[in-house]
Amino acid sequence: MKKRSSLVAKFIIGFLIIGIAICTVTTARGYSQYKSYIQKKYNDIAYDIAEIFENYMTEEELALYMNAVEGYCMGKVSEEALEVIKETSEYQETEKLLYSLREATEANDIFLVYTNKDVILSYEEANAENWKPLTYVFDCYMVEELKFGMGQKSGFNPIFNESIVEVLETGKRADNYFISESDFGYNTSAVYPVMVDGEIKGIIGVEIPMSTLESALNEYIANSVLATVAIVVVFIVIFMIYMYRNMISPIHLIAHEAEQFVENDAEVSEKLATIKTKDEIQKLSESVLKMEIGIKEYIANITKITAEKERIGAELNVAKQIQADLLPSIFPAFPERSEFDIFATMNPAKEVGGDFYDFFMVDEDHLVFLIADVSGKGVPAALFMVIAKTLIKNQVLKGEEPAAVFEAVNNQLCENNKEGMFVTAWMGVMEISTGNLTYVNAGHNPPVVKGEDGVFRYLKCSPGFVLAGLEGIPYSQESIRLYKGDSIYIYTDGVTDTINMQEEMYGEDKLENALNIHREETPEEILKAIKEELELFAGEAEQFDDVTMLCMKYKG
Amino acid sequence: MQITETRDNEVITIAIEGRVDTNTSPQVQDAILKSFQKVNQVVLDFSQCTYVSSAGLRALLIGQKTASSKKGTMKLVHVPEILMNVLQMSGFVNILTIE
Repeated sequence: MKKRSSLVAKFIIGFLIIGIAICTVTTARGYSQYKSYIQKKYNDIAYDIAEIFENYMTEEELALYMNAVEGYCMGKVSEEALEVIKETSEYQETEKLLYSLREATEANDIFLVYTNKDVILSYEEANAENWKPLTYVFDCYMVEELKFGMGQKSGFNPIFNESIVEVLETGKRADNYFISESDFGYNTSAVYPVMVDGEIKGIIGVEIPMSTLESALNEYIANSVLATVAIVVVFIVIFMIYMYRNMISPIHLIAHEAEQFVENDAEVSEKLATIKTKDEIQKLSESVLKMEIGIKEYIANITKITAEKERIGAELNVAKQIQADLLPSIFPAFPERSEFDIFATMNPAKEVGGDFYDFFMVDEDHLVFLIADVSGKGVPAALFMVIAKTLIKNQVLKGEEPAAVFEAVNNQLCENNKEGMFVTAWMGVMEISTGNLTYVNAGHNPPVVKGEDGVFRYLKCSPGFVLAGLEGIPYSQESIRLYKGDSIYIYTDGVTDTINMQEEMYGEDKLENALNIHREETPEEILKAIKEELELFAGEAEQFDDVTMLCMKYKG
Repeated sequence: MQITETRDNEVITIAIEGRVDTNTSPQVQDAILKSFQKVNQVVLDFSQCTYVSSAGLRALLIGQKTASSKKGTMKLVHVPEILMNVLQMSGFVNILTIE
């Protein structure tokens, strides 16, 4: 909602600004045009009045009056002579008509003066008091006391000097409307040139009040503002309705539906398809719709993949656990047997792997222990390990010799082994009563044995080929004799192949040394010590292989 | 790990550089099997190889089986001592052709 109202507000404010600007410009322009039009009209009237006044006198009368006043100004005609002229019936008749004209036209003043441009141009600010370029011939000022008589002199506002001189020089009407302000409002004047014998001798001045000007202008402004405002408002309303229907409403719908999409767990909003403005907004709505569908599919996909991954991960964990559970892991394994001590551990790497160990009694006098490593990783290796472990135990329990066991198991594993998997394995069978250990090796790392001299050394074994590699491979078994206190340690290559941060391998020499450091300890302690040693060596380096170890101590 | 293949008439030599472990052994196996589709004699050059895991041995075993079934040969050359130890320990020396 917030978004919608702000968009509407923005449009309204924008249009108001434009409306006000248009209104101001048009009114101001109309005002000045209208004002100058009215002023001209009034000024025209003033000139008409001047012309009427001129026609009250014959050319001879006018020439007589003008020449007399000119002569008076030059000192050639006496004041008495002027008085005589004023007493003539023609002069008095004209003056009477003049009064009637002023009253009829509501003019402030109508007068005829003698002047010339030299006198006007003699104006000096310092001498303004004595500057009186006009000499009256006729006057009929509405205030009788301030009226000038024939031969009396007066000045005027010197700002009009230039325009009046221009009139005297050219005999044409001035552009100037001679606007002046009085207590009663604005006045306009006519400055009408008067010719005597083809020469401009003076002017007829007519000052009329522009009484209706201000009220007319005010009315004009009010009307024009009102009209403009009305037009702008109507325009805004129509345009807003148009904008609202075709732009704001669809945009709001898109925004709303997009919000709903987020709130309603990515439910695609069909309403978006209803926007049919056939412009960019429709395109936007289609894009949003397309995006929503895309996001929904993507989410569905991700959810499915994640669920699948979780399921596989969970199943692999179960597989890993099952695999670990297949190995004997309760220690001490044979608490009732004091003749030997056995301990084994398997630390799987990240994935399920293929290492395994096993130990069990065939009968009261024979202990079997073995260690093996299936090539590869993951579920295939784990499955192969289960088969291998089961086959070996079954064959041993049949009572066969170690070499015969491996030969049989090898042939069984080779059947249907299309994946080319194989197992390296080492198995020993100890006669507990004598300490006689018979062993067979299928390509596995040789054990480390602590013999008579109390030092751990690698046991020499004939390297048989790996199990499940090739069918019909013969294996040979060997034997040694263990004495009281002797130990045997077997392991998978995860031990010697442990790498550190420099990618150096732990190796067989280090293992032999470590075993000798802990040679007096119990199998459990030895395996724990080796494990710690490997962790120390690896540091932060990630391990890729299972680490499996088994240690057996013969105690006689 | 990096594999470089060069062909000389009917012999393809695959030079292996670096570690052959669980992650990289499928590439070696692929290279060997594809070579046997083209020729009957494949030479594996291990001079630049630093390590071969049990998964790598499996690739060699599959390669050897393929060679036998095709009546061809797969020959290992320039085998470093560390790999030789592994091959001896696992009994692979007895089934592979090593020079």
